[in-house]
Amino acid sequence: MTYFIFIGDMLVMAFMVAVVVWVYWRTSDDVINRSARIPLDDESTDG
Amino acid sequence: MNTTATKSNLYYHDRVVTVLVAWSIVWSVLGMAVGLYVAAELVWPQLDFGYPWLSYGRLRPLHTNVVVFGFAVSALMATAFYSVQRTSHVPLFAPALAWFCCIAWQLAIVAGGLSLLAGINASKEYAELEWPFDIAITIVWVCFAIVFFGTIAKRKIQPIYVSNWFYGGLIIVIAMLHIVNSLAMPVTLTKSYSLFAGAPDAIVQWWYGHNAVGFLLTGGFLGMMYYFLPKQAGRPIWSYRLSIVAFWAFTYSYIWAGPHHLHFNAIPDWVQSLGMVMSLILLAPSWATMINGIMTVSGAHAKLKTDPALKFIVLSLAFYGLATFEGPMMAIKSVNIVSHFTDWTIGHVHSGALGWNAMITFGTFYFLVPKLAGRDLYSVKLANIHFWLALAGTMLYILAMWGAGVSQGLLWLSLDEIGELNFSFKDIMGSMAPYYGLRVVAGVLFLSGTLLLAFNLFKTLQGQKVVRVVPPPVAAMEAA
Repeated sequence: MTYFIFIGDMLVMAFMVAVVVWVYWRTSDDVINRSARIPLDDESTDG
Repeated sequence: MNTTATKSNLYYHDRVVTVLVAWSIVWSVLGMAVGLYVAAELVWPQLDFGYPWLSYGRLRPLHTNVVVFGFAVSALMATAFYSVQRTSHVPLFAPALAWFCCIAWQLAIVAGGLSLLAGINASKEYAELEWPFDIAITIVWVCFAIVFFGTIAKRKIQPIYVSNWFYGGLIIVIAMLHIVNSLAMPVTLTKSYSLFAGAPDAIVQWWYGHNAVGFLLTGGFLGMMYYFLPKQAGRPIWSYRLSIVAFWAFTYSYIWAGPHHLHFNAIPDWVQSLGMVMSLILLAPSWATMINGIMTVSGAHAKLKTDPALKFIVLSLAFYGLATFEGPMMAIKSVNIVSHFTDWTIGHVHSGALGWNAMITFGTFYFLVPKLAGRDLYSVKLANIHFWLALAGTMLYILAMWGAGVSQGLLWLSLDEIGELNFSFKDIMGSMAPYYGLRVVAGVLFLSGTLLLAFNLFKTLQGQKVVRVVPPPVAAMEAA
């Protein structure tokens, strides 16, 4: 069972490393900056 | 006529948000008042006056259901409806369905609360409501999902902002947990029996219970934080990339952590170890989120000194950091053997519930209500007094329960030379009166602050004019 848990933990780590690599590799600074600013420019008052 | 109709379809639907916020405030006062009453009953048991409906066994589930499903879920629905329109640059999809969610949810809380007072109870913690309510909750939740995901589907901008990932995670995972955990065989209108029994029932129960904490009280409120913190600080989130990584890490690891509630119980040892390890891994996304939030405010110190909404949100992040450090530590078996079945757990839960959930909601409401009402907050001074009352109440509550819990754990583990208990359960509980008294004082402080919030925000809303808010010009033109 120890090996089972160890392998499971390593799979979790591999998944997280893949997410980090994907987020940093597949997204440009421009897209990230525009996404981060969404709440700051999302409305105008009318009436 | 057509032009007017078309234009009105472009307005963000904020009226339903206002009503949900108002109900959330009402439930916060009622739920916390019931919590204070049951805390007082633990000091003065005669406060039930011999009435079954005033007994601890009926009022305690009423307290948890009203604060979690009334206060918290109404706040989450309100903020999800408010932010998803704005981050999608479109009004709500199916606004009539949003109104149905709002009204049906409040009716379910009223009827569900009365059923708990009447002693109708499914005997599953945080899922006490009987099967008719389970079905009603499922219907409302599906409608919530349709409105939320429908709005995202018709969005006018390509990225799905990170707050929507958290709100989306909340909606999907809570639906899954609620349906599986509520599977039961009804025998009468007010009684059913769970399809699970024994150890599997315990595992399903804490898979539900812990992930309700995870995806509702943590994930949902992180969605709130990722939208309202940048909004209030006037700065984008410090690291958007980190927020995405934290979302996936959070979602992937939280779902495994439930078995830490069942340490040293009749479930397989490896399941307990798995729950412990995944709880420890959770530290990484939790603290990544906290650091991301704190760094977002790092350039807005001047505003932090004067703005009560921002103060509440930043303080909530500090308590979020505290609670998400304490939780994994308590999941370690050698710590859990002291903390389990003691008031330490109650203190931990309230450091999250009062310090994180309530504080971030209060901060969000102090920002949101003046915007919805189209006027300044009625009294900044009252909001500042509320801030200090809430902080004092939370700290006193946590310290009292830490003292009580650690004492209980150590005294219960204390054995004499032949291995018999040094102290009886009755003697130990008898010595808890000072801690429980302090908890009552903490509850009075926190509830007093919440009453100030209710007065302040309802005065702000009083005589409210209709504020029409539309998407930014470019998106509006595209929609037209």
